[in-house]
Amino acid sequence: MDTRPPSQSEHAPLLTASGLEVLYEPAGGPPVHAVRGVDISIGQGQLVGLVGESGCGKSTLGYALARLLRPPARIAAGTVVFDSTDITNLDRKSLRGIRHNGLAVVLQSGMNALNPVRRVRGHFHDVLGAQQRLHAAEVDNTAETLLSQVELAPSVLDRYPHELSGGMRQRVAIALALALKPRLVVFDEPTTALDVIVQRAIMDTIARLQAEVGFTALIISHDLGLVLGATDQVWVMYAGRIVERRDSPALATGPLHPYSAALLACQGDPTAEKVELGGIPGSPPDLSKPPEGCAFAPRCWLSGPPCKEEPHEKLVGTGSVTCHMAPTKLEVPKLIRRVDGPSEPIPDSGHGAKVPTTASAAVAKGRGRHRDATTAEPLALIDVTKDFKTKRAAPSEGVQAQGLVQAVAGVSLRLEAGQAMGLVGGSGSGKTTLGRMIVGLERPSSGSITLGNLRVDKLRTRDLPRYWRRVQMVFQDPYAGLNPLHSVGYTVGRAIRNHQGLKGDDYRRELLRLFDTVGLAPPEHYAAKLPHQLSGGQRQRVVIARALAAKPQVLVADEPVSMLDVSLRAEILHLLGELRKNTGASLLYITHDLLSARLVTDQLVVLRQGHIVESGPTSSVLRSPSHPYTVELIAAIPTVQQSQTVPAGAITERPGEPV
Amino acid sequence: MRYVLRRLPVLVITLWAAVTLNFLLPRLMPGTPAGAAVAKLAGQGSVSASQRRAIEVMLGVPHGSLASQYWQYLKAIAGGNFGISYTYFPEPVSKVIGAALPWTLALVGTVTVMAFVIGTLLGVLAAWKRGSIFDTAASVGCTFMAAFPYFWTALVLLYVFGFVAGWFPIRGGYSASVSPGWDWSFFVSALGHSVLPAFTILVSGLGGWVLGMRNNMMGVLGEDYIVFAEANGLSPRTVALRYAARNALLPGVTAFGMALGLVVGGSLLTEVVFGYPGIGYLLYNAVVNEDYPLMQALFLVITVSVLMANFVVDLIYGLLDPRVRR
Ligand SMILES: Nc1ncnc2c1ncn2[C@@H]1O[C@H](COP(=O)(O)OP(=O)(O)O)[C@@H](O)[C@H]1O
Ligand code: SF4
Ligand SMILES: [Mg+2]
Repeated sequence: MDTRPPSQSEHAPLLTASGLEVLYEPAGGPPVHAVRGVDISIGQGQLVGLVGESGCGKSTLGYALARLLRPPARIAAGTVVFDSTDITNLDRKSLRGIRHNGLAVVLQSGMNALNPVRRVRGHFHDVLGAQQRLHAAEVDNTAETLLSQVELAPSVLDRYPHELSGGMRQRVAIALALALKPRLVVFDEPTTALDVIVQRAIMDTIARLQAEVGFTALIISHDLGLVLGATDQVWVMYAGRIVERRDSPALATGPLHPYSAALLACQGDPTAEKVELGGIPGSPPDLSKPPEGCAFAPRCWLSGPPCKEEPHEKLVGTGSVTCHMAPTKLEVPKLIRRVDGPSEPIPDSGHGAKVPTTASAAVAKGRGRHRDATTAEPLALIDVTKDFKTKRAAPSEGVQAQGLVQAVAGVSLRLEAGQAMGLVGGSGSGKTTLGRMIVGLERPSSGSITLGNLRVDKLRTRDLPRYWRRVQMVFQDPYAGLNPLHSVGYTVGRAIRNHQGLKGDDYRRELLRLFDTVGLAPPEHYAAKLPHQLSGGQRQRVVIARALAAKPQVLVADEPVSMLDVSLRAEILHLLGELRKNTGASLLYITHDLLSARLVTDQLVVLRQGHIVESGPTSSVLRSPSHPYTVELIAAIPTVQQSQTVPAGAITERPGEPV
Repeated sequence: MRYVLRRLPVLVITLWAAVTLNFLLPRLMPGTPAGAAVAKLAGQGSVSASQRRAIEVMLGVPHGSLASQYWQYLKAIAGGNFGISYTYFPEPVSKVIGAALPWTLALVGTVTVMAFVIGTLLGVLAAWKRGSIFDTAASVGCTFMAAFPYFWTALVLLYVFGFVAGWFPIRGGYSASVSPGWDWSFFVSALGHSVLPAFTILVSGLGGWVLGMRNNMMGVLGEDYIVFAEANGLSPRTVALRYAARNALLPGVTAFGMALGLVVGGSLLTEVVFGYPGIGYLLYNAVVNEDYPLMQALFLVITVSVLMANFVVDLIYGLLDPRVRR
């Protein structure tokens, strides 16, 4: 069935899809049109990236191409051809043949891709044994070779998935995919939810394997920066369509679609002298009611009358763009900017006014009226340690620690009143534990924590609520932090009652003011919503509003943007910055994301395995790091050279299509 | 194995608590159960001094310190000496229970295991062929069966197959014409007598296992590792059994532990309806006759069997799920 001609031109399509449409038809819900007419092809040996915000249909498209969709999803129209075989309607049995012939998939972050009750060895036996009869020894040999290709030791074969770290599990998943001798591998968010350094290592492994083994790859990610650095070509997906398809360097230097340009503006280099970040206010449309005309129009600063009509694909060099205005000079409004020296907010003018940055407008309104934390006090940590007893072996790359784990090992730092300090480091560096000790959720094993003259580490449980009027925490996961049964107005309202003791009209006014402050306008509209009716960014705003209800002197924010799409990062960071200025509260910003740390903090502390390895003013730590670990963290960031000029590429209408 | 060693202390402590509770309860009861028991016994015939003493050890001596009573009680239990039953006078309690236990274990134990195995397999099949006619039939049928009142099933079966058709005996564990022993005619008679009660227990229990397993399977089928296994070209059989069913089984094992624990004590209704000579029937008689010595010993047997069953299932769970092991 292998119909490959003996000599192949390097970029002959290995996979093509035309007119592909995918529908989710859930029982008792409206159908969701997740992929709406996609035409693409991947050449032999190419590395293609597929990017877009979450909910744009990337995974659905990837699954459709790999024929992994299951009910309620189905391919409603179009064809998928892999290696000259139409696989659109292939039955299960023939599909297995195709998979053994090399159509492999690596799933989103790989965390749950392994059977929890089966050892790694068993997984290899299953996969290799399904292709051909092999002796156990042969399987083990092959498995060891595959593991060494993904830089894992043979001892991993005897481990259960839960005994491996996230990065190791993802490597095992890649090795299993490689066992199929794949010609095409679809990677769905291969590094999401992994530590930055691990993320970088996995991407490097994928690139090296691709060169060695020579497979073709589709890399799906919401992170344009990551994809641009790793691929030859990028497809940008929005609301179920590919809106731009370009060679990676061309897209990096001159995006033609406003959406691509905006995504690109959400990336930045934290080590640059001047750092600017854009965002995309709003969220992708609900695909159960696909919009008329250009789907991006409600969020597009260029949209005009023609955009009420569906735009057509225009060919540009080897790629294409689907926008009425292309090509235009694209200047993306920036939401937040940082230059060496004192912080510099972006005045609410120019583009800022056109893009609905409700947050900044609201904060500007409230400016001066509420300077709550008047008696701000410094927060000091002296020689703080925290030991955890481990019940189980702690899974970390390679080593298994047992018994006592020292999460924080002798940390001393001082957060001055009104200052913004960043706490950065990889996972397991002790950042979150430190944050939890500062808000009193965890007690240090030794050392002292003081706010003004208050010994935080000595607080009794019943004194904590009073302490929380002064120190508040914003957690990583805006989904977990809110009670799904209560309206968000109720949630924030309870915080107001608890902390400020307001009632009646005062209470109501304060509630509306808080919603306004965090940019949820009109407040009445949002206060009545349940958490699941809000987008991730809106939920995180609610969480921040709840923290503000206490009028805290210190705000501890633990990865407040890491679970959000990059397109929302700038908005939330901008909000945090403005709030800090207007309330005078100090901010402890915990993150693994150096870019956001650069944008909102003045001081930076780098943690590694519970120790401070480096600290100082944020820009100098990032721009001239002295500790090797800081250097490693910085090197792990994918870099994109951007320039916002449109290339002189000839734009042509697609032949045979109406304009 | 460290996993076993870690669980052992919990078992020992709970066992001790059960035994002690069993010691304290009759002593805390209003009135004096021991006195009542002795009086009742006297009505049945002559009570020897040693019989009287055995009852007092178990149910409470009028005089004497609690500590020394407790010590005597523990010694009696260790020797299997639970006193004398007056329902089955002059049999000692231990002998009465010893005679009933095998009946219950054989009937209810076997059927509980059967219900679990058959139900789980059907559940796997229903989930794997989700949406098929088989799935629909199994789901509807099991919901119906699970909702059907238990004693109704028993009575209907009794009436139809016992009275009307006359295929199966109506009462008892074996017919009067044979005597218990290891011979063929007894075995056949006992088997014939067990069909109706077994079927009743099976019918009432099966539906729950099918539906439970089906639901667990459906949950597991949505997991990433199932999609990944499929993407890796594993055969549907391997995916269904080794990946999906294997994981979906885990919650069922815990439920199975509880069901096993109830084998000894939970069969009261069946045994009474069918006049089956097991523990349940015994318990019923003990309660009706206010046979305190028998009741006390039965409670102990039932509690201990629940604890032991849960302990064993806990160990099995550890074998099945590497995540709880160490
Ligand atoms: N099982 C499902 N049932 C109904 N709708 C779904 C289901 N899975 C995904 N969708 C919808 O399909 C759209 C695309 O989702 P997805 O492909 O996961 O996007 P992405 O990978 O870009 O985040 C979204 O609107 C999402 O809500
Ligand atoms: S078609 Fe119009 S609305 Fe859509 S992206 Fe282009 S300019 Fe913006
Ligand atoms: Mg996805």
